[in-house]
Amino acid sequence: MRLGDKLLKLFFWLMMVVIYIPIGVMILFSFNSSRSKTYFEGFSLQYYESLITNSRIWESFYNSIWVAIVVIVISLALGILMAFAVTRYRPRGSTLLDSLIMVPIIIPEIVEAVTLVVFLVVVGIPLSPLTVIIGHVTFDAPLAYLIIKARLQGWNKEYEEAAMTLGADEITTFFKVTLPLLMPAILAAAFLTFIWSYDDFIKTFFTRPTGFETLPVYLWTYLARGRVELDINALSTLIIAIAILFTYFRMRVVRE
Amino acid sequence: MAEGADSVVSLEGLIGRLRRSRRLKLILFLSPGLTVLIIFFFSPFIFSLLFSLGMFTKTVVDGVSRWVFIPYPELEYYSSFLTSKSTLNSVFQSIYYASVTTLGTLLLSFPMAYYMALKMDRGTKNIALFLIFLPFWINFLIRVYAIKFIIHPDGPLSFLLVSIGVLDEGLRILGTDIAVLITMVYSYMIFMLLPVYGVMEKLNREYIEAAYTLGATPLKTLLRVTIPIVKPGIIAGSLLVFIPAMGEFIIPIMVGGGRSYPIGRLIYDQFIRIGPPLGFAYGSAAAMVYIVLIVVSTYLYFRFVGGEVRLV
Repeated sequence: MRLGDKLLKLFFWLMMVVIYIPIGVMILFSFNSSRSKTYFEGFSLQYYESLITNSRIWESFYNSIWVAIVVIVISLALGILMAFAVTRYRPRGSTLLDSLIMVPIIIPEIVEAVTLVVFLVVVGIPLSPLTVIIGHVTFDAPLAYLIIKARLQGWNKEYEEAAMTLGADEITTFFKVTLPLLMPAILAAAFLTFIWSYDDFIKTFFTRPTGFETLPVYLWTYLARGRVELDINALSTLIIAIAILFTYFRMRVVRE
Repeated sequence: MAEGADSVVSLEGLIGRLRRSRRLKLILFLSPGLTVLIIFFFSPFIFSLLFSLGMFTKTVVDGVSRWVFIPYPELEYYSSFLTSKSTLNSVFQSIYYASVTTLGTLLLSFPMAYYMALKMDRGTKNIALFLIFLPFWINFLIRVYAIKFIIHPDGPLSFLLVSIGVLDEGLRILGTDIAVLITMVYSYMIFMLLPVYGVMEKLNREYIEAAYTLGATPLKTLLRVTIPIVKPGIIAGSLLVFIPAMGEFIIPIMVGGGRSYPIGRLIYDQFIRIGPPLGFAYGSAAAMVYIVLIVVSTYLYFRFVGGEVRLV
């Protein structure tokens, strides 16, 4: 191995360590037995206990999950339909249409959030969990569209044509041939829209009604005031543990 | 009898025709998504633009207060935005933050992507990708908080540096631009790393070997072979980092202190603290200025760098 390669290797793993230091320290301090944020004084689960009894966190977590699930269903339905229309029926001006659908992905989120709020207020639509969902969908439907379109462009229609030639009608062909072929892209899109929606703070914060909190909104009301509490460390540790388990199962499913 | 049979036939024919009609299917497939986007994405832009031009006013009509459209645009919010020293500072600070973040993420990701794509074996690569993705399961806010926790003057890093004698007193970077920039580079890193790695992965290592065989120095190979090939990835990564970094407000609020006041934070304050109608008008004007800045900087970037974008 040449010296340059060794340096590259060192740099790479050093960066990985740097990426993980903040997270590692956070996990460590979630088990701290004292309130100290400076040194670790001993092992304890007290912050996990106070986390379990914090009903506001659990309620906001529940809101995050159900909003994300509704958003996935709507965004996938809209995204799949638009992707089919653009790739299969190639309407006139489809390049323009394609760029228009993708504009929400490029526009910065804070601008999308504030313009939506101006619209809702002026038109007189009251803020509700539904407006939060709408805000997520205008970003996630184009995201799902982008992923599914990439997949649809990649394969030829022969499978579907074969099914039709063998006598299947259009609907049967769609459910028996097209959909199974499209499944990996649909799963990828579902995965990404879920992550986005579940992690979204900006749009949710602007379009939510007072009192409706998702997990990021709850964290913000807490953290923006400059408070640093060790329950948050415990919560983050739990989320990381769930993430590792989830990724592990996903890898196993993919392998099978 | 005959008439009845006829109408059945024609009804079936009609359904058949509808099923075969591409135009109908096209409309059916496109309309739900486009309707949502037009109502809740594109028209809000128009509303916001009109609001920033002072074209909505709240009036009481029949005892109910509602927003009324006035067809006379005013440029008052834009002129006060563009003549105030503090807002112009916000604009420059945004550009500064976004540029440093873009450059920082590029300088760090490029060697990482290069190493991953060209020097790693398959198994290690999968582990490395897993490790890179894992932190992104944690909420963005928590990742920012994790850095704040570390660099806090009473935090563990400060304690460590003092006790080994590197610093005399606690770490004093929280509340400065340095803290903002470190946190921004940390948070936006993946948006540069992934596109650069994606293109690098397709880079044929024979080109590099050929350059070496033909006597090129490593530096020359880098500048004349590697960088031109991965340029689309660099461009995509730069846009993915630069555009949102310019509007960042979470990081300045959490780790930046009062003097860190980029345009995103200005918009946030106008909408959340001041509210309608003044904050909405002023904040909308700021959002429009932000969009114009993005369009102009992207245009200049392409003029200067050239080339095409490849996102996937």
